[in-house]
Amino acid sequence: MRMEYKIFYFKSPFRSWVILMFLATTIFTSCGSKREPGRVYMPDMAYSRAYEAYAPNNLKKEGINYLNYPVTGTIRRGDLFAYTLPNDSNGYKMAAEVKNPLPPLDSNQLLEAQRLFNINCAICHGPNMDAQGPLATSGKIGGIANLKLDLYIKKPEGQMFHVVTYGKNNMGSYASQLDRKQRWMVVYYIKSEQAKASANKSTTPAATDSSTAKK
Amino acid sequence: MNHYRRFICKATVGIFFIFLFSSHNYLFAQDGQATFKTYCASCHKPDVDFTGPALKGARQRQAAAGLPQDWVYKWVHNTTSMVNTDPYAMQLFAKFNTPMTAFPDLKKEEIDAVLDWADKYEKPAAVIHPPGEKTGEDNSLLYGVLTLILAVIALILLQVNSNLKKLSDEKQGIRTPNPVPFYRNKAYLLLGIIVLFLIGGYYTIEAAIGLGRNKGYQPVQPIFYSHKVHAGTNQISCLYCHGGAQDSKHANIPSVNVCMNCHMAIKEYSGDPITRDDGSSVNGTAEIQKLYEYSGWNPSKKSYDRPGKQIEWIRIHNLPDYVYFNHSQHVKVGQQQCQTCHGNIQEMPEVAQFADLSMGWCINCHRETKVQFNDDKGHGNKFYSIYEKFHDDIKNKKYDSVTVEQIGGTECQKCHY
Repeated sequence: MRMEYKIFYFKSPFRSWVILMFLATTIFTSCGSKREPGRVYMPDMAYSRAYEAYAPNNLKKEGINYLNYPVTGTIRRGDLFAYTLPNDSNGYKMAAEVKNPLPPLDSNQLLEAQRLFNINCAICHGPNMDAQGPLATSGKIGGIANLKLDLYIKKPEGQMFHVVTYGKNNMGSYASQLDRKQRWMVVYYIKSEQAKASANKSTTPAATDSSTAKK
Repeated sequence: MNHYRRFICKATVGIFFIFLFSSHNYLFAQDGQATFKTYCASCHKPDVDFTGPALKGARQRQAAAGLPQDWVYKWVHNTTSMVNTDPYAMQLFAKFNTPMTAFPDLKKEEIDAVLDWADKYEKPAAVIHPPGEKTGEDNSLLYGVLTLILAVIALILLQVNSNLKKLSDEKQGIRTPNPVPFYRNKAYLLLGIIVLFLIGGYYTIEAAIGLGRNKGYQPVQPIFYSHKVHAGTNQISCLYCHGGAQDSKHANIPSVNVCMNCHMAIKEYSGDPITRDDGSSVNGTAEIQKLYEYSGWNPSKKSYDRPGKQIEWIRIHNLPDYVYFNHSQHVKVGQQQCQTCHGNIQEMPEVAQFADLSMGWCINCHRETKVQFNDDKGHGNKFYSIYEKFHDDIKNKKYDSVTVEQIGGTECQKCHY
């Protein structure tokens, strides 16, 4: 009978085992806090010697004169000429005379223009250009142009390009997201959709809704 | 008779006209909402001020300002000149700071219909979500306690059993060797060592494999930007902000002006509450204020009146320098969805690394993914047009499809050079 209770005693050798096991598991599992990056071992060639995009740099200290922007007055090879009208009411007025420099888009280019429109514009103006995009219907942004209105159907393409380039009222500038060619493609796409819409309007007799009877 | 006939004639004509006008009025009354939606809704709300003033009670306010009833028609038809001449219009412009677009095509009846509709407008009663049902109580603790009790009982029974055996052996006169304490019992020792070896080995190997990998890495970013709110709730395309993914090696971090495209207008967060993984809640409006701090934007003046600061976002997805990875190759040419590698980003309030970005993971995908050879539609992928043999083989029904591996997607030099 004397052994009966002995099994419940933890004598020192066993205790040290338990502690050892506990330590081992905690050491290995505690490596992974998700707020910290993981550990590396012998990171040969893992970090770039050259400056990577967005990485902090010492270019100024090293005497390297690097410009983040293209030199003023230069354009990229194959790019359209710079748009020089100023971002003010005068420039907006003059923009009415600016014509789309691109030749008419073929069906592939039109699809690409539609894709660009759906990514960048449809979020407010809606995929059908009727100002019913997700941000418009949820009431988050106000003053969104319903591009299917006569007012915007009549708007010259140059002024549209001007607005996409500089922004207007609640709309920001899209010059950083779409290059000049892409902006003209989007304007071309809007104009072609508007032409379809107004053609539809003139063919269907607008008897009930006087607002669409125009044109 | 003649008298009667003329009366009937008049009455018919009268009734006809009544019908005509009443139907007309009815039509406009119904159209108030439609007209509002087409022309006014982008700047006006019926019951509260938005980009422009609330339309409810607009006519009363106008009358209170001592203006004639037809002022509103003049205003809608000719905003541009009135905003500089008419005192009430100038007052409105000073308040809202955005000139109203003129709608000379809108008829008086339509304007009336819109204002009638707005006057009658009642805010739809807010949908009250029933409080969420309590999730089933966590039973694991109960199970744990039960297991422990059973284990103790089993141990006691074993002990009792061995003691009884010992007693019976003693009675029968069989001599048993002196009991060995269990920590010197070789069987126990061996078992312990094996268990320790397995557990230790498992964790050691896991940790060793995890060296240089960051799956689940979720750093604290300078602004709590929720992809769930932007890409999920508001359905903004990934390429709106990360347009570089289709044109270049990098899926760029959007510059602050891209944020400001929308946040010039969106000054506060009003959606569902945002919570971090640990359950603490995030004040969306305060995070937008942080953006204004960084960008130097003054929302009340609607202009940038301070110099901007860089937002130092912390990069999550990193590949070692000895691997070449190009986003446009995968997004534009391979037409992969962002979610393939980044997970359900539109459901992540806070982004964590989804894939382990290991070489095995890359290779596996290259082995399984079928290349989009099909350019029958005319606007398909021209990138693969040089693989004439494969195209011919597909035409001759030799293959069904071609994987990335077959066109050299697992060659070492494709990614390591």
